[in-house]
Amino acid sequence: MTHIAPLPLEAIADPEMLELITQAKALGVPDDLFPRLIARAPAQAKPIMRAMMMSFTQGHVDHRLKEIMRVLLARFAGDKYFAALRSRKAQDMGLTEQRINEGCYEYENDTKGFSEAEKCALQFADLMYLDASQIDKAFYNEMKKHWSEAQIMELGSFMVCHYGMQMFMRSMTGRA
Amino acid sequence: MLDEGIDSYAGSERYSEAEKIALRYSELMSTNPDAVDAAFFDELRKHYDEEEIVELGIFIGINLGFHTFFGSLKFYPLFSPDGRLLTQEQSEKLYGSAPVSLKKETAP
Repeated sequence: MTHIAPLPLEAIADPEMLELITQAKALGVPDDLFPRLIARAPAQAKPIMRAMMMSFTQGHVDHRLKEIMRVLLARFAGDKYFAALRSRKAQDMGLTEQRINEGCYEYENDTKGFSEAEKCALQFADLMYLDASQIDKAFYNEMKKHWSEAQIMELGSFMVCHYGMQMFMRSMTGRA
Repeated sequence: MLDEGIDSYAGSERYSEAEKIALRYSELMSTNPDAVDAAFFDELRKHYDEEEIVELGIFIGINLGFHTFFGSLKFYPLFSPDGRLLTQEQSEKLYGSAPVSLKKETAP
């Protein structure tokens, strides 16, 4: 239950918002609760939904890696809503719950089989909102060994958008 | 007024009660999100309708997200508080590695 009630779907008339809700429900992240809630502020709702969907499903970084990063951030944010959701696209690509947990808690363990590029990206997510002071020039130099500058910006922008809305949902629902 | 809003809004006479609760929402989301509870939302509702509360929440959330990332990229404003175009090196010297009050930079 959220502190502010989501709008009923029937109360949303904007065709683009309805299409975004349909796309989100098909993906599984977010389900229709989040867009119906932010639809109370229609001027903000569509740009936020577009940015979330685009940053998560488009670009040049593996969607499964982004899904692990998204869950890691949601758990860190203490947001029980987004932490419970799973991308059907990532599941269809073979991402399992075990792999998500390994990515969140054991990515540095060499026996888990994450590539150096994946480890670096997961550390990027791990540190960003825990200790951003460690994301310094040396860290970005390490990132650049594995990722193009476009991919680094893609990952950063993806985290900004999703972590920001995870914190918003945490405020709407209370801690996990 | 900006510095007062950041440092001492709670006791300020320059901010309305509605502005103070919005500033508190912003502060708590980053420093103590557990305090943003049902009672806090009841207080917000005394001053804002539900559309405005959602608007504030989205604004605060996205700002929490991007300021941390942008901070890690170490880029600085293109202009000084009085409108001069700066190099990144000049800007870093002026603005420093952490946000601080610019009151003394803008004083006449």
